[in-house]
Amino acid sequence: MDVFSNILLGFGVALSPQNLVYCLIGSVLGTMVGVLPGIGPVTTVALLLPISFTLDPISALIMMAGIYYGAQYGGSTTAILINIPGEPSSVVTSLDGHQMARQGRAGPALGVAALSSFFAGCVAALLIAVGAPPLAQIALQFGPAEYFSLMVCGLVAAVVLAHGSIVKAIGMVILGLIFGLAGSDINSGVRRFTYGLQGLADGVEFVALSMAIYGLAEVAVNLEKKEVKSGIAQSIGRVLPSWADVRTCIPSVLRGTTLGSLLGVLPGGGALLASFAAYTLEKKVARAPRNFGQGDIRGVAAPEAANNAGAQTSMVPMLTLGIPSNPTMALMIAALMVHGVSPGPRVMTDRPELFWGIVASMWIANLMLVILNLPLVGLWVRLVRIPYRMMFVAIVAFCCVGTFTINSNTADLAVLAFFTVFGYICLKLGCEPAPLILGFVLGPMMEENLRRALLISRGDPAIFLSSPISIGFLLAAAFLLIVVAAPTIRRRRDEAMVE
Amino acid sequence: MFIRAPKDFWAGVMFLAFAAVTIVTANGYSMGRGGRMGPGYFPAMLGWALAFLGVVLVIRALVAKGESIEPIKLRPLLVLVASVLIFALAIQPLGLVISLVGTTFLSAFATPDARWREAAILSLALTGLVSLIFVFALRLPLPIWPSL
Repeated sequence: MDVFSNILLGFGVALSPQNLVYCLIGSVLGTMVGVLPGIGPVTTVALLLPISFTLDPISALIMMAGIYYGAQYGGSTTAILINIPGEPSSVVTSLDGHQMARQGRAGPALGVAALSSFFAGCVAALLIAVGAPPLAQIALQFGPAEYFSLMVCGLVAAVVLAHGSIVKAIGMVILGLIFGLAGSDINSGVRRFTYGLQGLADGVEFVALSMAIYGLAEVAVNLEKKEVKSGIAQSIGRVLPSWADVRTCIPSVLRGTTLGSLLGVLPGGGALLASFAAYTLEKKVARAPRNFGQGDIRGVAAPEAANNAGAQTSMVPMLTLGIPSNPTMALMIAALMVHGVSPGPRVMTDRPELFWGIVASMWIANLMLVILNLPLVGLWVRLVRIPYRMMFVAIVAFCCVGTFTINSNTADLAVLAFFTVFGYICLKLGCEPAPLILGFVLGPMMEENLRRALLISRGDPAIFLSSPISIGFLLAAAFLLIVVAAPTIRRRRDEAMVE
Repeated sequence: MFIRAPKDFWAGVMFLAFAAVTIVTANGYSMGRGGRMGPGYFPAMLGWALAFLGVVLVIRALVAKGESIEPIKLRPLLVLVASVLIFALAIQPLGLVISLVGTTFLSAFATPDARWREAAILSLALTGLVSLIFVFALRLPLPIWPSL
C-alpha cells in the first residue's frame, strides 16, 4: 500500500463518529489545560489514563494526542493576552505576543499563533506520514543488541535535553529503571522488590506512579507558592491577521515548522525545546532583530509553529520504535500496553489502522483546534479566573478514584501516597521527574534486550559493538554526554533555556 | 556546615539510600552470569551505577557551591497524603460517594486559603461529577454506597 491509500485508511478510522467525539474531547480538554496555568498536558493525560483503559486503543490515543497538541494552542492564548504562559512551551510566545497585545494588536497575535500552529501541524502530520514508515522498516531489522543501544541512546538524549543537573537526571533515569523492575521477573518468575507486599506483585502500578508525580506532588509544590493574580484581559478585536502580517510571517513559520519537526523527533525533544530553539533561531536570522521582544509578530509565529510541529513529530519515536521521547509519550505507551499493543515498528504492519488513524486524526484535531480557538478565544480566557484552590481539589479527586479503578485495589492508593511524598522530595531537590518516568517505562524492555543480546553472544559484551547500527547509537550517546559535560556548551544550553 | 550545595547533597543522599536498598535486595536474588543473567544481575548493575552517581553528587556538593533548598511547607503535602490514605481506608467499606466527599473536603484544606463553605460545595459538586464520569458514563465497577 502506498502513502495515499494508507492516509485514506487513516481518515476512515479517524472520521468514525466515536473517534471524532474523542478527538473533540481531547482538543477541548487540551485547550482548557493549555489555558490553565498549574495544570499541563502531562498531568491531564495521567489523570485520564484510567479512563483511556476503558476505550479502545485508537480512541484512547487520539484523545491523548489531542490533549497534547491542544495544550500548545491553548497555552499561547493566555501567554499573549495576560502574559501568563499556560504551558512552558509558550513562554517565548509571551515575549512578543504580550507586547503586541499591549499595543492593541492582541487579535492578530492570537490569529497568527493559531494559524501558524495549524500550518505547522498539517506539515508535521504529512512528514510523519511520509517519514515514519521507512523508519519503522529499518527498525524491524533491529536485534536485541541494537534495541538496547537505542534505548541507552534515547535515555541519554532525554537526559541531556532536559534542563537542570545532568548527574541528577541520569540518577533519576536509573531510579526509574529500578522502579520499573519491581514485580514478577518474566524469565525466572522471581518476585523482585516486592518485600512480601501483595500489592507490588505485579510491579509498581504505573497509573499510581504517574498520578502521584504529575498530579499530587506537583499540587503540593504549587500550593507552597503564592497564587499569581491574573491580569485583566483587554478587548481582542479582529482575530484575522492582515495580509501584510501574513507575508512577514511566512518565512518565520516555515523555519519554525522545519526546526520544530526536526527537534520533535529527537528523544527528549518535543514542544518545549522546539519553541525555545525556534525563537533563538528567528532572532539570529531575521532582519531587524532588534524588534524582538517589542511585539514582533515573527516572534509569535515561529515558536508557535515550532511547538505544535514538535508536539506532533515527538510521536514518531513512540509509534515507530516504541521509545518514548517525553513523559506524555511514556503515558501513551502505557495506555497502549494495557490494550495488549506493544508500541514499536510492528504496529505499522500489524495494526495499520492504529498508526494511520492517529496520523489522520492530527489533521482533524488541528482543524478542530483552530475553530475552537479563534472564535471562542474569549471563552477560554475566562477559565483563567478559576482559582487554583478549587482546581487542585479536582486533581485529588481524579487521582484517588482513577488509581482505585485500575485494579479495585487499595494497595495502589498506598503506592499513590508513597510516590506523592517521593515526588515532592524529588521536586524539592531539583530532580526532574521526566527521566524517571521514561526509565520506568523502558526498564523491563531494557533488561529483556540486554539479557537476550548477552544470551546470543554467550555473555560477551562485544556484541554491542558488532553491528554498525548499535555502534552508531552508543557513539551518539557518548558524544551527547561529552558535549554536555563540556562547560562552554553547557553554559550556552542554560542560557538558551533562560532566554 | 560543610555542605555547600544542599540540593545536590541531599539528592545524592537520596540516590545512595535507594542504591543501598537496591543492591542489598538484588543480592538476595540469583545473579547468574553475563550469558545467563539471573534476576539479580540487572538490578545490581543499576544499583551500583546509582550509588556511583550519589557519591559524585555528595562529593561535588561538599566542594562546589550550589543551590539551597527552598523553604518547605509541610501542610499541603501532609493534607494531600492524609486525604489519599483516608480514601484508601474508606472506599471499600463506605463506597465512593461518602469517601470522596470526605476526601475532597479534607484535601481542600491543603491550602491555608481554604474556605469552609466553598470546600463543602466543591466536594459535593466534584463527587457528583466524578461519580457521573466513572460510574454512569464509563460503567466502572465501583462500590457506590456502603456495603451492609
